[in-house]
Amino acid sequence: MQITLSDLDINQEGQIVTVQAEGDVRRRLLDMGLVRGVKLKVLRKAPLGDPIAVFLKGFHLSLRIEEAKCIIVKKISNDDD
Amino acid sequence: MATKQIKVALLGNPNSGKTSLFNALAGTNQKVGNFSGVTIEKYEGVLKYESYEIKLIDLPGTYSLTAYSPEEVIARNYIIEDKPDVVIDVVDGSSLERNLYLTTQLMELETEMIVALNMFDEVEKAGTKIDIKQLQKLFGSHIITTSAVKKTGISSLLDHVVRVYEKKIDIKKNKLTLRLEIEDKLLDICELLKGVKGLKKYNHRWLAIKLMENDKEVYNLVKEYPVWIQLEEILKKSIIDCKNKYQSDPEVLITEDRHAFIHGAIKETVEFPSTKKKTLTEKIDSIIINRVLGFPIFMGIMWLVFQFTFKLGEAPMGWIDLFFEFLSGVATSVLPEGMVQSIIVDGIIAGVGGVLVFLPNILLLFIALAFLEGTGYMARAAFVIDKIMHKIGLHGKSFIPMITGFGCSIPAIMATRTLKNRGDRLTTIMIIPFMSCGAKLPVYVLLISAFFSTGAAGNVLFGIYVLGIIVALLSAKILKKTLFIGESEPFVMELPPYRMPTIKTTLIQAKIKAFMYLKKAGTIILAASILIWAASNFPQNKVLEARYEEQINQVNINRSLTQEKKDELLSNIEFENQYMQLEYSIAGRLGKSIEPFIKPLGFDWKIGVALGTGLAAKEVVVSTLGTIYSLGEVDEESVDLAEKLRADPDFTLATALSLMIFVLLYMPCIAAIGVFKKEAGAWKWIVIYAIYSTSAAWILSFTAYRVTLFITG
Repeated sequence: MQITLSDLDINQEGQIVTVQAEGDVRRRLLDMGLVRGVKLKVLRKAPLGDPIAVFLKGFHLSLRIEEAKCIIVKKISNDDD
Repeated sequence: MATKQIKVALLGNPNSGKTSLFNALAGTNQKVGNFSGVTIEKYEGVLKYESYEIKLIDLPGTYSLTAYSPEEVIARNYIIEDKPDVVIDVVDGSSLERNLYLTTQLMELETEMIVALNMFDEVEKAGTKIDIKQLQKLFGSHIITTSAVKKTGISSLLDHVVRVYEKKIDIKKNKLTLRLEIEDKLLDICELLKGVKGLKKYNHRWLAIKLMENDKEVYNLVKEYPVWIQLEEILKKSIIDCKNKYQSDPEVLITEDRHAFIHGAIKETVEFPSTKKKTLTEKIDSIIINRVLGFPIFMGIMWLVFQFTFKLGEAPMGWIDLFFEFLSGVATSVLPEGMVQSIIVDGIIAGVGGVLVFLPNILLLFIALAFLEGTGYMARAAFVIDKIMHKIGLHGKSFIPMITGFGCSIPAIMATRTLKNRGDRLTTIMIIPFMSCGAKLPVYVLLISAFFSTGAAGNVLFGIYVLGIIVALLSAKILKKTLFIGESEPFVMELPPYRMPTIKTTLIQAKIKAFMYLKKAGTIILAASILIWAASNFPQNKVLEARYEEQINQVNINRSLTQEKKDELLSNIEFENQYMQLEYSIAGRLGKSIEPFIKPLGFDWKIGVALGTGLAAKEVVVSTLGTIYSLGEVDEESVDLAEKLRADPDFTLATALSLMIFVLLYMPCIAAIGVFKKEAGAWKWIVIYAIYSTSAAWILSFTAYRVTLFITG
């Protein structure tokens, strides 16, 4: 089963498999560096549970769960790093 | 010899320190305008360097140069159409990988560029080592390390600007090579574009890349030419090829290649410190936006901003008020009584005073907002509140303008500039006036004190505030489902590292907003104040005036009266005269003519006039009622006015409630409309808003009036 960025727990790392968003959202995600092969880590959830904050390429990015669901990832075990 | 001019544009990611660098370069010698047709600020600065005059343009902060946001289109059109001599690409050294993405797009445009590797002090402090020489080679551009805060590298940057302009130094431009399948197609497309005369001024490879990236603007540009038929074939084929080979499309593949290039370059040239310790930003975030404290801290900060803006603004507002009172006092005593005095005192001085009185609030709010923005908290605020705002179809960033509306709609509407999406912005602008602003409070206080018991007063006041919020939220939902369907900014937002903003940058930002307000809103407000003045003073009733003179004379020559008694009689006569004059004036007649429309709400022509003059400023409703009920100068705490209202058989509890709701919801004051027009861009939105808000006001007031009448019998 495919897992998405929204399925990752806090502090869990993942690697992007593909981005399935469309239009503006997709362009924005691509420009921010969310492309195939990029590693990222979920940092936290907002106090109300949505959006989430992730760490990638040396910066912090926040996105809604709705958008995180479009990003297919595979888990990276934490000790593998 | 005339000095030669070098046109330099600054481009960079948001939060890359671009604005600070611009300030460091241009100093205070800058001016602000708008890019044509949009409300995106255009900052320009001029400085002398060696024998040149350098003209700087600060382009809007952007992550990319696609055609998705107005900022991006503006930045890129400026580079393509206005052809600056040199582009300074401001790159945040502490977030190199993401920042260099924009650099790759400048490479594609083959502009003359210099990379300013900004915040280099932070890079050094973190212990990161960068092989600048190699990085220069890879990106085919000079890279100058700078720190806008520490003011290092500034002269070196200017030096390079001049030398690049003089073509005295040059680093061989490097081409970012994309994967083979894409490059092949790019060649084919370029070959076709070569023959098109109208596209000569563009960089063909760039056009080709944009076509393959499915860029709307470039599509529309190239579509005009017959060569399009062949181009379309190639593009369609490339989509199929990419799908077959990579299960992806050219747009994604090109982006991947750019990121891969950067990733490789970073691996080759940057050595990160080996120890991975938590950054300061992570530490602060783990407290400030954590799941327990995040919300209370957010509310606390909002409360502080509010207090800072409106509490601290009270005193200077009072001084401005006093100053204008003093001024009108002087003018009244110096100028002879009559038309000229009236237009200067009641028209111009009152009008200008009405504009200036908001200045402290605007300055303070924008100091607070610029400070928060500079620290990096603004993005966190949006992060914390986004879930709630998203429920009504808005973006987390809409929240701050919305609550500012409780103080005053003017700074609130101006604060919507942080919203990049048109639909989000217009929706937020349109719901802001529903928040009970400070000027509506005197009206509530007057009516509540006149018609409600002290016990109920607090609840009624709270109720009216809540009603405003509910109407605002519902309106946002309605607007987002009708006028602005599908128009919202995706919530994919950087949480920038925490930084201490420079005082200079913060103050410059606030100053700029203040000037913008004075310049644009000021003229509209002033004109409108004079118009309202004229409407309530014209036409003059000569018969009335003659009788008035006569009455005064009679009192004055009556020897049987004491001076005290005379004064009392005289002021009574004056108020009565004012009342009659107002009734006779255009405003009074308008009030009478709209009476049929407002009758169902329990309002007579007198309230109609007050609502009309209330457009100058909402608290004027109170003073107009004062004039109408012949009391002269009144304020909301005036016991007399409250008593007079109660004594009026037509003015009941139901009328009071209905009036409060109407004042809450109907057209905002002229000052706000002025700013509304400027920020929304077109009169169309004001017309729509006027109709919408007035109908909402009418329906709710009517309901409240009828229900209350029914209950109270």
